[in-house]
Amino acid sequence: MAGWLGSGKTTLIIALSKGLSQKGVKVAILVNEIGAIPVDGRVIQDYGLTVKDIGGGCICCQLAGSMMRTLRLLREGPNPDFVILEPTGIAVPHAIKEMLISAAPSGEITLGPTIVLFDTTRATKLLGYETLQRVVTTQLRDADIIALSKSDAVEEEALAGTAESVRVINPRAQIIRLSVTNGDGMAALTRVVEDMTVTV
Amino acid sequence: MASLTAKERVMKLLNGEKVDRPPIFSGMGNVIKPVLDKSGIVFSRVHRDPDLMAKAAAGMYREFKFECAVVPFDLGVEAEALGARLNFYDEVEGLLYPTVKEKCVTSADDVKIPSDIRNAGRIPVVAKAIKALRRELGNDVAIGTYVLGPFTLAGQVKELDALYEESFLEPEKTGKLLEKLSGFIVEVFKVYQEAGADYFTLREMGGTSDVMSPRSFKSLIKPHLKRILSEMPRPSILHICGDTNAIITDMAECGADAVSVDHKNCLAETRQKLGPKAIILGNFDPIKVLHKGAAKGVGPAVIESLNGGASAVWPGCDLWPEVPKENMEALMTALQDITIKVA
Repeated sequence: MAGWLGSGKTTLIIALSKGLSQKGVKVAILVNEIGAIPVDGRVIQDYGLTVKDIGGGCICCQLAGSMMRTLRLLREGPNPDFVILEPTGIAVPHAIKEMLISAAPSGEITLGPTIVLFDTTRATKLLGYETLQRVVTTQLRDADIIALSKSDAVEEEALAGTAESVRVINPRAQIIRLSVTNGDGMAALTRVVEDMTVTV
Repeated sequence: MASLTAKERVMKLLNGEKVDRPPIFSGMGNVIKPVLDKSGIVFSRVHRDPDLMAKAAAGMYREFKFECAVVPFDLGVEAEALGARLNFYDEVEGLLYPTVKEKCVTSADDVKIPSDIRNAGRIPVVAKAIKALRRELGNDVAIGTYVLGPFTLAGQVKELDALYEESFLEPEKTGKLLEKLSGFIVEVFKVYQEAGADYFTLREMGGTSDVMSPRSFKSLIKPHLKRILSEMPRPSILHICGDTNAIITDMAECGADAVSVDHKNCLAETRQKLGPKAIILGNFDPIKVLHKGAAKGVGPAVIESLNGGASAVWPGCDLWPEVPKENMEALMTALQDITIKVA
């Protein structure tokens, strides 16, 4: 689950995990920064589940081994049905996928969809600032699903315009209007997470 | 032209002289499991023991005739010397690279350049390994080494999100950090030169165009790369990951003797932009082709990169340690039975 800083990844991950858990699905969350995730510190201590700089765009190649080790530790321990990966805000999703594919023997892992959050309250800034544009468009291009986050805080006209702008960047992605606050889009997102899987 | 030794071939190429055929080598990490297994070397120990490091690096030439010996293997040497804490995964038998587990910098003011760089962190380990390689391989094989570029190193010592956010929103602050790191990088290279390294790769993977806009690269990173490349030993190579064609002329203007690009680059475009004289290294895919692909696919991929304009047989990134032996052998025989036009 990628997205520029402040796009709402952590908030969505918590909500999504709760939704999946309520359906009896066991979820693990692998985050770059533990900060806002309400987890039991002992789990991390017991299993050593820390991976720095996930998808940092710098050293993906050499992080692949430690990432796979973490996933294997998860399988041997809590054995979740899903692992939701929250990389750094500047992560390049295709680089993370390549990293996992490189390190995993064929068939060992199944990749779910790449969800990229796009903060609709900062659409002009994210797509307009030359410095931010590059990383934001790279993330959007890599998405299977683009979640237009904080959609409840934006007027309909602006939201439609943002949807159109991101569709131009990635015409093949499914676009979901999302508001964790009022629940818009959560059911749809939960469904696609369950459905879209590819064994590598 | 009489047949050259592996070292002559590499050094002549990097110095812009004619060679009998493109060398097959790298300036980045390239130790693989068959070499480690043959010598009984545990990967997690190789990073802190100069003799093991040298033995593993030399093994790539001894076992496969890969035409270089490169140390170190990981990307944490400089960060560790600056105070970052690394995880070496001592308890793990698998092939895990050391990774940074605790960063040490929030701003340029926090950077404490070691007063004695020669003895900081594992820098002396790498230097000793270079000396050991020279003893072990004599003058037959070129010894390469690498140091991270300032932006990539900044990402190893400072939290990545904070670094990128700052670089986008307050680039002058990031500039100060890069300036401080640049001086350190030059000094590390000089230590490796004194130890006997033959060629030097500056690895600025964090400057990738996937994330950085060409304008940001030009204004924020390029001036520091230029400075480093003007002060560091030569021959020098500048490597940046991702599709770098949007910044390739800026890369060339940084002043390295050669540029190295990864498999995402359209090499023909790179060659067209840099002209016939530029030394361009790259860019077969070390994962899809060499690690995961079939042996029969290695040769065609290598030929494709040469036809695209590569000056040597050079991977787009580190060799993944689990490259199968037969694929490595296919790499080393890729140039047999074909005629190579040498520029």
